[in-house]
Amino acid sequence: MPFRAPDARAITPGGKGRFPGFDVLDGVEHWDAVTAGVVLARLDPQPEISFFTVTEQATADALFDQLLGQDAPPKIPVLQLVDRRLALGQTDGWRYEDMPEDSVAWRQTLAALDVDAKAAHGERFHELSWNQQGTLVQAVHDAEVWHSLPGSQVWSLWTRYTSTAFYSHPWAWNEIGFGGPAYPRGYKALGVDKREGWEVPDHHSVDPVTFAARVERAKRRHADTSGGNHPVSQGKR
Amino acid sequence: MTRFSDKKIRARNASAWLVPDGDNRTDHRLRGDMRRFADDDEVDIVIVGCGAGGATLMQRLARAGWSVVALDAGPFWDPDADWVSDEAASHRLYWTEPRVITGDDPVPLGSNNSGRGVGGSMIHYAGYTPRFHPSDFETASLDGVGADWPISYQDLKPYYEAIEEELPVSGQDWPWGDPHSYRYSPQPVSGNGEIFLRGASAIGLNARVGPVAIANGRFGNRPHCIYRGFCLQGCKVNAKASPLITHVPDALAQGAEIRANCMVSKIEVGDSGLASGVTYFSGGVERFQRARMVAVAGYSIETPRLLLLSASKRFPDGLCNDEGQVGHYIMVQGAPQTAGRFAQEIRMFKAPPPEVSSEQYYETDPTKGYKRGFSIQTVSPLPITWAEHVAAQGHWGEVLREYMRDYVHWSTLGALCEFLPRYRNSVTLADEKDRHGLPVARFFYSQSDNDTALMKAAQRVMEDILKGAGAEEVMTIDRFAHLVGGCRMAASPNDGVVDANQRSFAVPNLYITDGSVLPTQGSANPALTIMALAARCADHLIAGSRKGQRSQLVGQ
Repeated sequence: MPFRAPDARAITPGGKGRFPGFDVLDGVEHWDAVTAGVVLARLDPQPEISFFTVTEQATADALFDQLLGQDAPPKIPVLQLVDRRLALGQTDGWRYEDMPEDSVAWRQTLAALDVDAKAAHGERFHELSWNQQGTLVQAVHDAEVWHSLPGSQVWSLWTRYTSTAFYSHPWAWNEIGFGGPAYPRGYKALGVDKREGWEVPDHHSVDPVTFAARVERAKRRHADTSGGNHPVSQGKR
Repeated sequence: MTRFSDKKIRARNASAWLVPDGDNRTDHRLRGDMRRFADDDEVDIVIVGCGAGGATLMQRLARAGWSVVALDAGPFWDPDADWVSDEAASHRLYWTEPRVITGDDPVPLGSNNSGRGVGGSMIHYAGYTPRFHPSDFETASLDGVGADWPISYQDLKPYYEAIEEELPVSGQDWPWGDPHSYRYSPQPVSGNGEIFLRGASAIGLNARVGPVAIANGRFGNRPHCIYRGFCLQGCKVNAKASPLITHVPDALAQGAEIRANCMVSKIEVGDSGLASGVTYFSGGVERFQRARMVAVAGYSIETPRLLLLSASKRFPDGLCNDEGQVGHYIMVQGAPQTAGRFAQEIRMFKAPPPEVSSEQYYETDPTKGYKRGFSIQTVSPLPITWAEHVAAQGHWGEVLREYMRDYVHWSTLGALCEFLPRYRNSVTLADEKDRHGLPVARFFYSQSDNDTALMKAAQRVMEDILKGAGAEEVMTIDRFAHLVGGCRMAASPNDGVVDANQRSFAVPNLYITDGSVLPTQGSANPALTIMALAARCADHLIAGSRKGQRSQLVGQ
């Protein structure tokens, strides 16, 4: 397999995951060539940053780590994937009337995050501790209006771009047990608790507590680091 | 194995036999040998947009011997080379030219509801093809809300039957609306469908498998579905129906021309009051195609936009817009999506997202405080869309990741709530311009109280179903789906843009043949109805061939 070193199997971001040994890349030979091309390109060395300025780059990198909980290597190169998309002007094809176009909105909101960081701690966002950063990010999530922009739409912009980048990467699929490209192989074992021969079951033993307890633990950890209430009820629209 | 009765379908639409049998999904020779017209040939009809409405009309008219040119702003897809089994890289399937959204409830466009390229939005629709109910055609009379159509369900019924055969549709016998059966037996269900059926049974709700435009078996040269779960990314298998494989091949074989990557900028109307053709951009060059008739099928955003862009001395507020109807009464469906967590593994990404649905709450229930209703269907978000669902709960960082790691345990249902037509919900032109120098569409949307009540009712039912099936946690996200209206059909020019035959009131040789003509929407996915309407419009045009459709309306 030319696209990965022999010891680079079943990688998950931050080494987290519940499907030990599961590697979607084991199935590459079953993918059609066009799909393999676009997916494997995400594993290539990423091109130099071209959209974000150096200043924006530092802020964006720290913000993306926060939004996706990437606090340990190996990390999915979300910064590079988002940068490339913005450089290509690959928008979702619409914008809210009360928001500037995506590229402008990104520059504005990254600058605003630094303004908040300096106001609160006298330092730029990326220079703050993980916990201090988390508190500022949570404040944006909770804001009705943030630096004259609608808070929910800033949040929508941030999460749309970052989630798309993160969950397009095969390492994230390894983490969540997703089978990835499925053409022309398809699926045969359909139904509750049915698995293909190559699928790996969710290993409860990786972390032998219930889902509810795991979520509560994550929320507690998150609350400790983002300095407050983690919203558990209805989200934003 | 070809069914004996397939012969009849093949005799009127051979598309399924014109796609290749083998590893190639496209007959490149058929496309290469396509008939080509010159810009100054006056063709019988030029069609703007090659999706559900445009492609169906094109196929019917080409069969009747008309000279047809269809222009589409996007590519002429080759599923083998252009589509991928991947969410993020399917971006190219959507209309991503700039648009502005606003209102109390702005509706995101793009991936969820706007297609681009030959086949239109049906390239990335899930594949549900329910009929409208008879009541949908007279909601004003029956329920005092919405609008009455100038046609009835019975007018459309033969066309529903014809298109269901041509797609073809599979599903169980359908007990709702006008009860009917499908040609192909239902698909096997996956974990997600199993959960829906189990939960429905637990709470006494009737749910059925189908109706889905994926043959359960081979159809012509189209192979069996492989249950890969990427229906919304374009079917690389040729199993899920879209006009690209259900109507375009036959249209080409019958002598129609499709010009891809052509952005129409104006419908030209001469001093005679008749349309003379369309101006369009191709490869950066402005051109003009002459035509005896024009049909617009650009869907609910681009069709009104094109009419508004086609303002002239005679039509200063936009073509066909003397009565201020163009761009109004656009509807989306409320589409709350509820997910439930199960101890077992569901793996909802396996198998097509469209599997099981229920129309038990489709009609007005006099005991409820709202009018009209909703349907419920399986939806099966892939990781990126699933992350959107989780993030909408306010989860981010470590909590988002923890929920996402639990992906295989979740099952998801979606509702379609019938939002009512309102004049204020509209497309107008923004100040911002696209790269052609044309003003972009500004889409305003605000829900009514009835709309909001339906969303809540649908959410409750979906939560009950999932809990009935044993879910230990549920979470819901409010979404929208589908677009219809904007140039609705009506009995009189005061109430709409086109008449019962989809002919514009203002310009006798201008037709609109897409979802924008729908006066109401029911809680059904619109694709089948859009195709059926286009097939009906084609019959009307063919019946009147060369017999006066070009002339002025009587009295003018």
